[in-house]
Amino acid sequence: MTLFRLPACILLLIITLGNPVSAAEQSGHAPADPLNSPQWGVMHSRFLNGETYVFDDKVKVLAPDSAEDSLNVPITFDASALQGVEKIVVMADLNPIPGVLEFRPKTIPARLSFRMKLQQGSPVRAAAKTADGVWHVGGAWVDAAGGGCTLPSTGTATGDWSSTLGKVSANVWQRPDNNRLRVRVMHPMDTGLASGIPTFHIEDMNILDESGALLAEMTLHEPISENPMLSLDVGKHTGFRLEGHDNNGNRIDAEVVE
Amino acid sequence: MKAERSFRQLLLALAVGCALNTTALMAAVTDDDIANDATTTNDVVSYGMGLQGQRFSPLDKLNADTVKNLVPAFVLSYGDEKQRGQEAQPLVHNGKIFVTASYSRAFAADAKTGEELWQYNHRLPDGILPCCDVVNRGGALYDNLFIFSTLDAQLVALDQDTGKVVWKEKMEDFKAGYSNTAAPIVVKGLVITGVSGGEFGIVGKVEARDAKTGKLVWSRPTVEGHMGTLDGKDNGITGETNKSWPGDLWKTGGAATWLGGTYDPDTDSLFFGTGNPAPWNSHLRPGDNLYSSSLLAIDPATGKIKWHYQWTPHDGWDFDGVNEFVSFDLKQEDGTVIKAGGHADRNGFFYVLDRTNGKLINATPFVNQITWAKGIDLKTGRPEYIDDNRPGAPEGAEKGKSVFSAPSFLGGKNWMPMAYNPNTDLFYVPANEWGMDIWNEPITYKKGAAYLGAGFTIKPLNEDYIGALRAIDPKTGKIVWEAKNNAPLWGGVLTTAGNLVFTGTPEGYLKAYDAKTGEELWKFQTGSGVVGCPTTWEQDGEQFVAVPSGWGGAVPLWGGDVAERVKHLNQGGSLWVFKLPKTS
Repeated sequence: MTLFRLPACILLLIITLGNPVSAAEQSGHAPADPLNSPQWGVMHSRFLNGETYVFDDKVKVLAPDSAEDSLNVPITFDASALQGVEKIVVMADLNPIPGVLEFRPKTIPARLSFRMKLQQGSPVRAAAKTADGVWHVGGAWVDAAGGGCTLPSTGTATGDWSSTLGKVSANVWQRPDNNRLRVRVMHPMDTGLASGIPTFHIEDMNILDESGALLAEMTLHEPISENPMLSLDVGKHTGFRLEGHDNNGNRIDAEVVE
Repeated sequence: MKAERSFRQLLLALAVGCALNTTALMAAVTDDDIANDATTTNDVVSYGMGLQGQRFSPLDKLNADTVKNLVPAFVLSYGDEKQRGQEAQPLVHNGKIFVTASYSRAFAADAKTGEELWQYNHRLPDGILPCCDVVNRGGALYDNLFIFSTLDAQLVALDQDTGKVVWKEKMEDFKAGYSNTAAPIVVKGLVITGVSGGEFGIVGKVEARDAKTGKLVWSRPTVEGHMGTLDGKDNGITGETNKSWPGDLWKTGGAATWLGGTYDPDTDSLFFGTGNPAPWNSHLRPGDNLYSSSLLAIDPATGKIKWHYQWTPHDGWDFDGVNEFVSFDLKQEDGTVIKAGGHADRNGFFYVLDRTNGKLINATPFVNQITWAKGIDLKTGRPEYIDDNRPGAPEGAEKGKSVFSAPSFLGGKNWMPMAYNPNTDLFYVPANEWGMDIWNEPITYKKGAAYLGAGFTIKPLNEDYIGALRAIDPKTGKIVWEAKNNAPLWGGVLTTAGNLVFTGTPEGYLKAYDAKTGEELWKFQTGSGVVGCPTTWEQDGEQFVAVPSGWGGAVPLWGGDVAERVKHLNQGGSLWVFKLPKTS
């Protein structure tokens, strides 16, 4: 396993001060990006703060080879093979808005399925940060015909969005290991890249169990598909609460009961 | 050792850097900053440039002699295909300038360079019902927040540094005709707002929320019969049910508080004007229709009405009563001072009231033609109506008798705030000379539909001008000087200790006048109509003046025959900032 660290910036200098031994050990080469993306260096500094990372098969990204619908590309990441995952950052190197979402599981597996918009063929990566501060990066290349991020959402184009905004529907499937929760929140998720339509998207969403304990936190960005649909493994829980906000301060607040 | 010391020095430097950052973060807007806004010159933290709303700056570097040297510092374009009227007053704090724009947008820029820091585009549903253009008149600063209201009747608090939403509260249901365009004010930690929608049979109200969280503290309806609240509990009915309204009409009685209000610390009173009673057809609602077309003095702690004065009882002309009530010291000949307030009403009269009790001191015409009343009786405080000039009642399905009335419903003065200069003892009123044919029509209330029951056409009264900036002596009501303008005036006024008065014109100019004589001293063409509110401040030894530019508002939508004078005016959307360069 090869570790890599960016050349000194102020932040790193302080870390180095605190731990000079490990700094001496880290003078290696950057591991080659298995997806060979010209943007990887930028992704690393912007989304992983230039911190230590490793390309790791334990982080799986399941995605179609080619997007059949650039507005709704189904993505699943699974980092449950790692221990102590604090957060997972999903990014698409070649999207005009590369940040897709951040998932911070508290008591449930580090696994999530969702749909996203792709502007062109791009790596879609999931980077899981473990308790030791190291990022574990997995990814897949998804080809796409293009245009997913610069079209008006259907809700905005039809004007229907305001009558359904923030409405939540959900389904729970009981399974032997982990129950499965799927939620859908009505929201146009406008990227701000379609002419004359300002950015309008869900920013944060928390999933709590029936007792109010936090199961996972999420930060959503513009590339998440309109009316976000999220599927999670939720342990033995059968009742949930969903809380969140969009960038206009509109509240999402829903209870999922059997 | 040496190397280690240098690392320590570096860390110390970083620590100092953090300390400086903390100081910057500490520069939050406090209640004191707002209370002192009228006298501090390095910021503008409230609508009205001080909660009394005098729009007077003690700055005098820029004055009648130096104003010729006033030059543009920058212009910030609001962008987008959305233009329309730009009626806001900018705010300045901590080196940042904040301004709202049409379609419920807000911008922050570096106040010296104009470099944009952030913008917030509020997502508006298709079904919003603004009566009179998609304007916004400005925000309020408090703590680290910039708070403004939106066309879908929401109140949004943004982080001053990032533009991110910190809290948002729904004020009312936009589908019932509510909207909001006025600038909120913050009084002792409470953000105070009104509502728009008087043309849709809404019920006006004044509300106070915790400015840091948005939590509702009190609500005071402005139509008699409706229950107020304080801390979630009933807090007494406004007025007396059915005392001045027949039947059920008070339930959709209008009296919208659509222009916000002012606050006077001397009497600890909020002063909120109320709009027309609904519907416009006055024959449906015999009585005074309290508290429509009135001024309310409200206790900011509880939302209780202390006193009221009704400008136009039983309003039948849409004269409204929302125009600002500006607190000032009325100097008597014997050297005593009366705590007074000035108000230029849509109905054409300039009023001076005792602001401790609402008693009328004087009321004089500030426009040349008034057809609906002979005058205001100083003993009773009531208008002496000319009954013939009230538009007639509809007969069956037929419209009623049409009358020609002056002023028109767009008013001797509309929303655009006047200014008071304590050095010249004059009010500077942006007045308009126009009349209207007006008649009544049958009408019934339907949620979310226009509730007027009237038809109208506005007509200019003079060939050569509609607008007239007028300097009024509040002691006598006499007009000391006037500056005429071809198109109707629709922008706010600013006056300074430099013997200057600033206002804009729909023809695109920001103009400066000599405050004593009315002589035009300076003008600048901004490229689109100026219907916003100019403001001024000092930064790093230089005096700045800012004004939004962008033609729109109610005139192009409702102006009738006035269209001839304004249809060629082009839309826009930008913030112009000027400065008087330092001379060494």
